[in-house]
Amino acid sequence: MSEFIVNYLFSLTLFSLIFNFVLSIYGLFFKPHYIKKVIALTIFSDTINVFAIYVGYRRWINGINPRPPVLIKPPTPGAISEFINSAVDPLPQALVLTAVVIGLAVTLFLIFLGYQLYKHYHTLDMREIRRLRG
Amino acid sequence: MISAELAVYLLMTISSVASTIAVYFAIMEKDLVKAVIYSAIQSTFYAILFYLLMAPDIVLVYLPVSVGLIPGVLLILIGKTERGEKE
Amino acid sequence: MRRSILHLTIILTLLLGLSLLASISWQWFVPGEWFKCPLQGIWCLPVFYLATTYNPELSNYTVNSPEAVTAIVWDYRGLDTLFETSVFYLALIAGIALARGASYKLPTGGELGLSKIVKTVSRLTLPMIITVGASIGLHGHLTPGGGFQGGATAAVAFMVAIVVFSIVFLVEHGVSKDRMLILRSIGLTGIGLTAVALFFAGLILGKNAYVFQNMAKPFAGLSFPWEVNSALISGTLWFFNLFEFLAVTAGFTIAFMLLAMSEAGSEEGVRHE
Repeated sequence: MSEFIVNYLFSLTLFSLIFNFVLSIYGLFFKPHYIKKVIALTIFSDTINVFAIYVGYRRWINGINPRPPVLIKPPTPGAISEFINSAVDPLPQALVLTAVVIGLAVTLFLIFLGYQLYKHYHTLDMREIRRLRG
Repeated sequence: MISAELAVYLLMTISSVASTIAVYFAIMEKDLVKAVIYSAIQSTFYAILFYLLMAPDIVLVYLPVSVGLIPGVLLILIGKTERGEKE
Repeated sequence: MRRSILHLTIILTLLLGLSLLASISWQWFVPGEWFKCPLQGIWCLPVFYLATTYNPELSNYTVNSPEAVTAIVWDYRGLDTLFETSVFYLALIAGIALARGASYKLPTGGELGLSKIVKTVSRLTLPMIITVGASIGLHGHLTPGGGFQGGATAAVAFMVAIVVFSIVFLVEHGVSKDRMLILRSIGLTGIGLTAVALFFAGLILGKNAYVFQNMAKPFAGLSFPWEVNSALISGTLWFFNLFEFLAVTAGFTIAFMLLAMSEAGSEEGVRHE
């Protein structure tokens, strides 16, 4: 019974992340203001990062709780083998670090571009800009 | 009464469902300053989720970037351009 | 208001129902056990990273840093981080190019910035934020942290200073755009020099060494020192963290200053094109 509740909570987390993903794609396509699109893009990339870390998590086997991948005790062979048996996967965390920095760089560049767009067309509504193009 | 495993999963579920509610309000809000604030609330819940998934490095990157720097830059841009989204 | 509550109820009901359906039919999937390696005698990748990150017995494969994520970011997959730094650099150059000709107006008289209470509190807390950021950045090889985390935290202090005081105050006290560009170039040059230091040492001494080398490997004998008076510095990791902290803080400060400057100058700059 508790196994079923744990599975239910796990899948509830996963599906709420999928709903975040779908809502942010809806906001990116169907909302006409530029800044709303930038907000939806940041929510989109953050949700993808949470998916990557979610895959690297380790379930509780035999009551051993998972730990962050940092070695705390002095490195004797017993401490290292216990560390391997209880630590979370460190590789997705390193890749997500790179992904956060690149998403931040793209967002900064989009903000600079948005300011130039406003000075040229005096509005940031994409339907107006489409009508005024030229 | 409640085992430790169940408590951790329950906290994960609460923070991710709360983040879905915050994302819905951020996308559907017409006033852009409120939308930026809702996006910062969603980022806080994602930071709690990252901590429960045992990734403390990501929490240290995500908190200043997504709660401090990105809303700050967006608010400066909103101050220089328009504030409301029309129909 | 009614419509949004109705939409929210529909979304939450769909969420609860779909996850109930998934968990009933989900008896065979156990996520997170990917690295239970079935093959004997072959190490799979996360077990390899966790086992060799601080292991003084395997002195040919270890990184000598108890923090596995920083070791992966700067030693095992150092080229990824190099290209990520260059992508950030390119985005900043594009922003500087778009905002050329920007300048700030001289003060028209009166007080700039926010009220006196906010200014007094900020004078106390902003140096503390920069100190915490430097501490996170320089301890990256021992605890969770690192260059980018510390740099982003310290950049928050500069953003608060631009809003609370004004940008005129910052420029008068020495934080100008050109000086921040010089700091950023020092950071990036430091990263490049640390990456090729052992390569050039190997060329001079006639031994085998490769670019981005940190510790001695079976076919390349040179190595950085990993301990100074029995305190761990883990070779190149400390230097990479220091230079990345400088580069990231200066880069964010340039971006904020360019955005906060007034519009009159930059419009003339664009019209002259």
